[in-house]
Amino acid sequence: MSDPEFVKVKYRLTEQVARPGGMTAGLASERAQRELAAHAGDAMKSLSGMIGRLEVMCKERTASLDSVYEEGSTILDIAGLFNKRVLCDACYSLCELVDRQRTHKRADWTSIGVHVSALRLLWTKDAEDPASLKSVVDGLWTITDRLNP
Amino acid sequence: MALDSQIRINLDRSVVLLVDDNPQALEALTAMFRGFGVRKQFKCGSGAEAMHVVKTQELDLIVIDSTMPDMDGYDFVQWLRREAPDAAKFTPVIMLTGHAARTVVEKSRDSGANFVVSKPFTPEVLLQRVFWVAKDERQMVVAEGYVGPDRRFKNLGPPLGVKGRRKDDLSTHVGAAKDPNLDQSDIDMLMRPAKVQL
Repeated sequence: MSDPEFVKVKYRLTEQVARPGGMTAGLASERAQRELAAHAGDAMKSLSGMIGRLEVMCKERTASLDSVYEEGSTILDIAGLFNKRVLCDACYSLCELVDRQRTHKRADWTSIGVHVSALRLLWTKDAEDPASLKSVVDGLWTITDRLNP
Repeated sequence: MALDSQIRINLDRSVVLLVDDNPQALEALTAMFRGFGVRKQFKCGSGAEAMHVVKTQELDLIVIDSTMPDMDGYDFVQWLRREAPDAAKFTPVIMLTGHAARTVVEKSRDSGANFVVSKPFTPEVLLQRVFWVAKDERQMVVAEGYVGPDRRFKNLGPPLGVKGRRKDDLSTHVGAAKDPNLDQSDIDMLMRPAKVQL
């Protein structure tokens, strides 16, 4: 086995960020937040559609755990970009639950269904105080943690 | 540690590649980087498209989602660090992650991305990581099992006397010797091979 080699790298980005001009970090963050807000409406609609697809999967109980995981992971991806912390935490619990079920090769649609109902609830209560919704997420993690990783 | 909001950042000449298989997430990322002042962005919906852009364009930063069908973010970074053209091999990468399934935890650790940002995050956090990348002075390690930034961080903790330093943290001060110095013959004895009976 050969010895590791260490390479000193100089990024162009380092010079670029320090060039005169540009804007303050505060202004850049504000502008990004404004740009992002323009996409929030469409994102919320599509999140609703994805939760709807999970609801159908729970009703039919024929989908593979991989499909449930993928749908949950996509919700987490989009909600995460819009900093929907509570929805993300709930979705993370769903992904973890399904991942553990995959490991144990055992689908438990009841626990998945509870998660999906909670996602719908959290999506509709999006504007409410996140602290008050934390107990819902804590309850989901209690269900997930019943199954060993 | 939050980024000082008064720090000036100029990204208007930076060329950024954004990779996410979800069109909505890709649009949201594009919007964020537009807000940061990045004018030239390449958007790709798959690892294969991103590979083509890496081969044909000069990039300053790559932001990629970890979870994608076919070629995920980890595989892409492994390809970039090992097989991409030399000029692009060490392009800084920020990896965005959602849930890390058990099967990809090891891949994630060994992928070679500069920084990993877990979702959910705000534009402020993403900008902070861009700034960290720009200030990243870690060397690149090229080894058989890993190619990427040196993963060893040196953390000496707060300086002595500063609030927050724990009692059991190691001191950065060696202090005075407690015992007399060894003489040369003692040192020689320590290094001399000794015959042992097995």
